[in-house]
Amino acid sequence: MKRRAVEIRIGLSSCGIASGGEPVLAALKEAAQEAGAKGIVKTVGCNGMCSREPLVEVLDADGRITMYENVSVTDARRIVQSHIRPLRPVTAVRWAAERLIGSVRGNGCRDTIQQRRVDPAHGADATYLPRQTRIVLENCGEIDPRSIDDYLARDGYRALERCLGRRIEAPSSERKTESDAVANALAPADIIAMIRDSGLRGRGGAGFPTGRKWSIARDQPGPVKFVICNGDEGDPGAFMDRLVLEADPHRVLEGLAIAAYAIGATEGIFYIRAEYPLALTHIREAIRQAEARGYLGPRIAGTGFSLRLVVREGAGAFVCGEETALIASLEGRRGMPHLRPPYPVEVGFRGKPTLINNVETLACVPWIIRRGAAAFASLGTETSKGTKVFALAGKIRRGGLIEVPMGTTIRDVVEGIGGGIKDNRRFKAVQLGGPSGGCLPEALADTPIDYDSLVETGTIMGSGGLIVLDDRDCMVDIARFFLRFTQAESCGKCTFCRIGTKRMLEILDRLCTGEGRSDDLEKLEELADRVSRTSLCGLGQTAPNPIATTLKYFRSEYEAHLHERRCPAGRCVDLIKYRVTDACIGCTLCAQKCPVGAIAFRPYEKHEIDDALCTRCDICRQACQDDAIEVV
Amino acid sequence: MSQIVVPTLGHRLQSIPRSWQRLTALCIAAPAGLIVLACIGMLTWSYATARIRAPHDEQHVLELQEKARTDAAFASELADEQAMQTEFRQQRAAKDARITLMLLLASTAFVASMKWLVSLRDRFVPLQSQFVQLRLPPRAPAAAGSRSSALRRPESGEVSAIDLSHVDRIVAEIGRSAEAAIPILQAIQSIYRYLPDDALHRVCELTEITPAQIAGTSSFYKQLRRTPIGEHFVRVCHGTACHVAGARQVTDELRRHLEIPEGADTDTQQRFTLDEVACLGCCSLAPVLMIDEHTSGRLTSLSAYDALQTFLTEQAS
Repeated sequence: MKRRAVEIRIGLSSCGIASGGEPVLAALKEAAQEAGAKGIVKTVGCNGMCSREPLVEVLDADGRITMYENVSVTDARRIVQSHIRPLRPVTAVRWAAERLIGSVRGNGCRDTIQQRRVDPAHGADATYLPRQTRIVLENCGEIDPRSIDDYLARDGYRALERCLGRRIEAPSSERKTESDAVANALAPADIIAMIRDSGLRGRGGAGFPTGRKWSIARDQPGPVKFVICNGDEGDPGAFMDRLVLEADPHRVLEGLAIAAYAIGATEGIFYIRAEYPLALTHIREAIRQAEARGYLGPRIAGTGFSLRLVVREGAGAFVCGEETALIASLEGRRGMPHLRPPYPVEVGFRGKPTLINNVETLACVPWIIRRGAAAFASLGTETSKGTKVFALAGKIRRGGLIEVPMGTTIRDVVEGIGGGIKDNRRFKAVQLGGPSGGCLPEALADTPIDYDSLVETGTIMGSGGLIVLDDRDCMVDIARFFLRFTQAESCGKCTFCRIGTKRMLEILDRLCTGEGRSDDLEKLEELADRVSRTSLCGLGQTAPNPIATTLKYFRSEYEAHLHERRCPAGRCVDLIKYRVTDACIGCTLCAQKCPVGAIAFRPYEKHEIDDALCTRCDICRQACQDDAIEVV
Repeated sequence: MSQIVVPTLGHRLQSIPRSWQRLTALCIAAPAGLIVLACIGMLTWSYATARIRAPHDEQHVLELQEKARTDAAFASELADEQAMQTEFRQQRAAKDARITLMLLLASTAFVASMKWLVSLRDRFVPLQSQFVQLRLPPRAPAAAGSRSSALRRPESGEVSAIDLSHVDRIVAEIGRSAEAAIPILQAIQSIYRYLPDDALHRVCELTEITPAQIAGTSSFYKQLRRTPIGEHFVRVCHGTACHVAGARQVTDELRRHLEIPEGADTDTQQRFTLDEVACLGCCSLAPVLMIDEHTSGRLTSLSAYDALQTFLTEQAS
């Protein structure tokens, strides 16, 4: 086997940059340059372990992979030093001296970076990556998202080539040596049959069978059709589209190209929300590279298939994730949904048949074409095939992006992959599906994750946000949070969605401030039912879900708010008080930090909080080093 | 002088020629002014005479009282004198009241007509709501020079004139159809950081996009803003993960530190604009904050302001 050069990878998606990845990258590069190995540092996308970024992965010459988490700038230097032997003897001597000094001072580089090391074979980390099945996230964290060659090296664009039946000329010498012969071209009908047989369902939330959607789009008459990639990921708490677009843009592009070929479209649009600047940059760059290499453009690979892709930025409206609203927004109007049918696959953008697929759905397509429908269908459950990506966040020990086969239970995800609850608190509930989904209590954690089992419990799969809640989270407050969101995002077209959500929010506000009225819960139930039955689009129909599920599973909390004017979780600011316990040593830290002067400055005495002034900002509790502030 | 035709009630007067209006105003103002002056003169005169006579009369009455005490013949004379004085004073009060009333009326007429006159001297500045502002002057026949004069309203409080050539370039790049509305607005916002009215006028002039469409879309999409933005744009993520991790307290704390008044999103010195956004997609680092284009995560209400300051000092250095 050819000895490879050492490669150092650092994950630099938005999350990596936010946790300070850029200075780490600079430090890595600087150290590598000192060693005379300039090109070994490579930026890759996030591999899903967002909570532990900046993440550095080192591939040694013998193929061994070492991963370091929470890397700081000083750690970065030490990592390079421990993996690379410098070319120049002078540097070698200096580095040896540096290490010696480091070990004398008691912070030997070996030790500190050993602490940062992620051991994939033992302990808690053994369960994080191995328990996942990666299809969509196959390349995330493995390739440089800004390099088409990296993608090609991992079987990129093979699926498109297979569909077209032609090898697309690539200037890379490695690929030229391979045989140009590719199996017979797949007819569009065959592609659609493959997608249908794979059992792939829309990953945006509703779970419409993708194959059926494609075949309807294919059957539409007329030469002009559009394909749209829906990357308007507005769900608070979901970021799988962002990560896939940032870490593996070519994959989505290839999926969209295959979809366009299958239905006979010649124009495609990436609709990506403007809040994801890096995803936009990467996808634009990917389109440019693909055009330069002939994977896009007029008459691809000499066949009759042409495709032009453009990128459009969403302007910040949750409702635009809905297909008809998305089209309205593309046409320059207010993003308001309209009655379906006609569905966009029949009459869509500019009145032409338009196929709209979610980012994750499209990212599955190349894998299905390459590995076959049966391989995909062998994963998952009876009605939900394949895998699903989840954004694991909230009170979880190891949050991030994970991909598991359908049918995995919630408990497996939370306790197996996520490592359980942070700070040893009690696992109380999970929130699935964002503002359209609901909260499932710990008692139902053994529910398998698939479209139909989740619907039975009253929640939905949604786009895949999975927020874990512990015993300090108030379910009424969670319901209020989501309702505030849907209320603000309601486009205002349907009366019940526009006014009903407002009325429900008022009731929840009353409950959370201890001013609930005796018939509030009944009224809430009635409104929830009416709003869901009389709204046009998914936003309104599912807006009451967070209330309905919390009322169903956590009714006692609502009753505590209503009858006892008490928040059992200690969360609703109007129903709680901050108090100093006897553990107070009189250090005055809280008095110094209190922004409103609610704590008198009395050294060596037990402090007291003036409740009239207290704004419940929680700063005193964070500042206290003796845990002497309690919430009652 | 070109006029902006704004069909608002009360501005019908605009159709009467300006010189006529001025003449009418003058015809009212001049006599009213004279009457005001005359009234003031009469009141002063009346006051002055009363003031001069008063000690005399008092003295006279006192003398008569003294005499009447010793000589009964003077009693009738005293009574006459007192009656005469009372009558004089009552008459004076009645006369003053009439003059004062006239003075009030005349001065009202004078002030009103003078205001009219003054308003005629400058171009008429209509008070307009946000949406009326989008109303455009009838499209001028394409004359490059007349462009700015047709759109620019120097009286509208615009301090620094904005460079509209960006808008021309954006429109040329993106297109002129109604479909291009949102990309054009996004591009304009990326240059001016908000949507200045003048730029929007220009867009309507150059493209098929109507003012109604701009008003509709710019109020619908959260990204688009019609008011100027502070020097730094601070976005606090209020996604689900950030919410359960305490984004509310982080926001409240930042508002307090940045001295952003209740109900506003920007502080009075236009230094910081604070916005609550739905989700920045960095849920594993909750709560998350975005200062301009820089994201920081894992904040608490205690550390948020420090993070902000660290960023600002780093940026300054």
